[in-house]
Amino acid sequence: MNSNHNSEKKTTDTKSNHENYRSKDDLTKKQKVAAIKKTLKSDPVDVDRLRQLAISRGGLINDELRRQCWPKLLNVNIYGISKKPENLKEHRDYNQVVLDVARSLKRFPPGMRDEQRLVLQDQLIDVIMRVLVKNPELHYYQGYHDICVTFLLIVSEDIAFALVDQLSTNHLRDFMEKTMEKTTKILSYLYPILGKANPELREFMELAETGTIFCLSWLITWFGHVLSDFRHVVRLYDFFLACHPMMPIYVAAAIVLYRQEEVLQCECDMAMIHSLLSKIPDGLPYEQLISKAGDLYLQYPPEKLEQEANLQLKKSQSITNYKKLKLSSRSQEPDSVLKARRRQKLKEQQERRLVVMNRQEHGSRLVKVTVWALTAAVGVAAYAVMYAATDLNHWWYGH
Amino acid sequence: MSQEDGEAKTEAPRNTSGTTEVFETSTTVIVEKKSQKRIFKIIVIGDSNVGKTCLTYRFCSGKFPEKTEATIGVDFRERTLEIDGESIKLQLWDTAGQERFRKSMVQHYYRNVHAVVFVYDVTKASSFENMPSWVDECDRHHLNTDIPRILVGNKCDMRDKAQIATNVAQKFADSHNMPLFETSAKDDSACDHVDAIFMTLAHKLKNSKPMMSPKLAGMVKNRVINVGKSRDGRRLSQSRESENEKDMCGC
Ligand SMILES: Nc1nc2c(ncn2[C@@H]2O[C@H](COP(=O)(O)OP(=O)(O)O)[C@@H](O)[C@H]2O)c(=O)[nH]1
Ligand SMILES: [Mg+2]
Repeated sequence: MNSNHNSEKKTTDTKSNHENYRSKDDLTKKQKVAAIKKTLKSDPVDVDRLRQLAISRGGLINDELRRQCWPKLLNVNIYGISKKPENLKEHRDYNQVVLDVARSLKRFPPGMRDEQRLVLQDQLIDVIMRVLVKNPELHYYQGYHDICVTFLLIVSEDIAFALVDQLSTNHLRDFMEKTMEKTTKILSYLYPILGKANPELREFMELAETGTIFCLSWLITWFGHVLSDFRHVVRLYDFFLACHPMMPIYVAAAIVLYRQEEVLQCECDMAMIHSLLSKIPDGLPYEQLISKAGDLYLQYPPEKLEQEANLQLKKSQSITNYKKLKLSSRSQEPDSVLKARRRQKLKEQQERRLVVMNRQEHGSRLVKVTVWALTAAVGVAAYAVMYAATDLNHWWYGH
Repeated sequence: MSQEDGEAKTEAPRNTSGTTEVFETSTTVIVEKKSQKRIFKIIVIGDSNVGKTCLTYRFCSGKFPEKTEATIGVDFRERTLEIDGESIKLQLWDTAGQERFRKSMVQHYYRNVHAVVFVYDVTKASSFENMPSWVDECDRHHLNTDIPRILVGNKCDMRDKAQIATNVAQKFADSHNMPLFETSAKDDSACDHVDAIFMTLAHKLKNSKPMMSPKLAGMVKNRVINVGKSRDGRRLSQSRESENEKDMCGC
């Protein structure tokens, strides 16, 4: 409605990429639209079914459907939204919010008239401030505005507020602590996930002391800050809204893994790897990345990684000097460089073979993805979304 | 074989730090030591919205960015300079201004930095008043005073809105033993000046010689360097350090 983005218009360019990943169980777009509409009409709405549709290929398809589905996914009653209070400007974070919103031009559709954009920017400030005023325990972070603008481009100001309000006390709660300790903790899951999927990649990135800041904005903006194509942003939001709050870090891992060859060919140096990874190239196959993230989540769920993540957190604070030493001694030996190169070449060959295999095997692979969509939607994710309000931290870290 | 040699000599953008390049052919392995290109890490810090992103962008791309965004975490930009026949790479780490990022995230980037650029906004008093806490933070990360530091007052193009007098900023800079530059990331005529500021740092880093780049040193007698609109509108000029409180940033 507010948005000039049309999810349906331009899917042809990416379609061919995803074609490989379509199973015979996948619905066509038309079928899916019908399925979503039917689900919305059920009374009460079958939210689990909606989650499943939000996760599976294509997500919620278009912005019109998102407008109706997102409130349901977040269990928000759009008829009981509290009035806008008066005192929004008095909040401690007001000035920072204004500065950040003023600089958020890139988030609006390129064709939008200035007057319209300015109206939306004012609304954006109000949406953010309403949440902050209503929940004094929440702290604004730079990047929060990137999340809020995504909602504002799909639904009206009032509903955007209600959705973001709900999200902020659930999925985003940990980002909005006074400090970023918990955010850092979530980031610390990245290397354990990478390590399970590709130990060599993990070792390489750790040796370079890459850290996790390159994907900080991915995580805390749900990729809203880094993706230039709004259609990809909302597709990911469909996915995240239906899933466990940790899912963004699994998508981050899927993206890094997707680019593993580039990383391994990079100089083993923090700056080089940081700058390579922090920019997400255009045209990544998001449907593929989403199912990869789902696979990773199922194989290595957060509770299984928790110990390792804690270890990672400690390590990143104390072992850096040791690593530096190791790195410098290593780069002095032509031998080890040589070995690394050889390993790399071997790896590349293996990878090429794997890609071929994947293509041949994608039938069975997709069965797995479909099964995953079901279990994640009905089981774990539904639980997280519906019961997270009071129990989130316990649920994440308590096991 | 000759092909590989050629390749080794051409710029390999991802492998420039003087590490050993290995080229493998079917029968032989050539290990070639590349000439060292020195890399210097510079961290840019200061309050949110003072223009850190614009300044680093201006220096690395020669342009004022049309649409900047709030920096989340740490952004990376770099530029290679030729100084006295030596290629030097400056890596600029552009940091988020919001306090929460500094506390737990930015630490990682303080390690191994070769220089620090403090930035404030001449039109915003609070951004200057917060400078001591930025300097403190820097100290806390064990960046001893051997590391070159400079203070940059940005947005001098808005001369009528300036809130921080040059001599006040100068006093602060002196007390922390760093030079002060007043400039504008936005003003196209100050482009050379932004360059010169970073060049100055590069020279300092390269030679550990006196702080000023020769280009500036020739022009500068007093300590503060301003963006002056000289007659041709491009050259740097230097206005005398003013004792007059009202002489806001001299631009
Ligand atoms: N007039 C003027 N505006 C500037 C200048 N440098 C930056 N800005 C503006 O100040 C705002 C903040 O700049 P930014 O580089 O994002 O600040 P940062 O938060 O320190 O990185 C943006 O709206 C810029 O357009 C300058 O030299 N002059
Ligand atoms: Mg910035």
